[in-house]
Amino acid sequence: MTDRAIIHQVLAGDAEAFARLVDRHYERCARVAFRILGNREDAEEAIQDTFLRAFRALGSYEDRERFSAWLTRILVNQCRTVLSKVERREAVFSDLDVQDAELYADVEGSVEVWPDLERALAQLPPDQREAIVLRYTDDLTYEEMARVTGAGESALKMRVQRAFARLRALLQEVASV
Amino acid sequence: MSEAEFERRVERALRAPVPTSARAKQAVMERVRHAAREGMPQRTAAFPGGRSARHSIIGLALAAGIGSISAWSSFAPVARSAGTTGVATSSVIGDTVVNRFRDTLRLVRLIFDDPAARQVAVVGDFNRWRGDATPMQRDARTGRWAVTLALHDGEHRYAVVVDNTRRAGTAGHAYSLLRVARAAN
Repeated sequence: MTDRAIIHQVLAGDAEAFARLVDRHYERCARVAFRILGNREDAEEAIQDTFLRAFRALGSYEDRERFSAWLTRILVNQCRTVLSKVERREAVFSDLDVQDAELYADVEGSVEVWPDLERALAQLPPDQREAIVLRYTDDLTYEEMARVTGAGESALKMRVQRAFARLRALLQEVASV
Repeated sequence: MSEAEFERRVERALRAPVPTSARAKQAVMERVRHAAREGMPQRTAAFPGGRSARHSIIGLALAAGIGSISAWSSFAPVARSAGTTGVATSSVIGDTVVNRFRDTLRLVRLIFDDPAARQVAVVGDFNRWRGDATPMQRDARTGRWAVTLALHDGEHRYAVVVDNTRRAGTAGHAYSLLRVARAAN
């Protein structure tokens, strides 16, 4: 069933159908929120608020935009709200615990876990971190990223380029210690 | 490691799943069920199908040479194109002369796009950061929020308050900058 068909169902009065959208998009939202915010607690708060806001605003969703991109727009707003609420200058990335590692084991195929990268991401300026996460974690096109962030496409490309350069420098520092 | 290899490795790592808890996921639907009891979402958008093309007020204003405006979030320019979300866009739509003071104010249209917002207001130097002073109105057709401000030339600090939470245009910034000036001829 397509996202659009599920949305029809919800708008026809079936609130439980929304669970299918949650199932379908939760993991993706978690990747984006975790990597923008840097810790699981804040990410979970942002994701819950995102789905709740999406549910309430579902009537204003227009299907000329991908539902996933629309949801990401709301998610990025929520992440920004969380960031401003906690007023953190640098996100603190939590280490993976045993329970988390088990969750990784469920994933099909090989998964690259690179804790140093997570820490380096936390040191990027918020706009660069947001750009590189949206580009590669969420697979958004630059056009979609522009709608999500409000920045121009060329500015976003520049942010991603700078993010790569900064990450490389940071990870080289770690490697040389 | 070459640049290309490094970028590929970063991309793979960014696509890797992150830890999630089943409890947090369940909590989403608990909150949704609670919200559904208060009221189900009502269809307000043209769905399915599109809607008529939007016209950029900014383009119209600048083309008419009425005035110019720019908005900054500390260091990053805020896009002025229509259709951005979570970012206030603005345009000068006219000038007005206050005769008593012989002072020129520019009428600035501020537009904010957040499809999920329930209540939006703008706060800034111009209203002493009072949250109740300048509510934005939702355009039923476009779903965007808008308000018209009468501002002096110069820089104005502002932020948008969405559902009682203040938000600047760029993550990590407390406010955005709005620069109002007469357009160069």
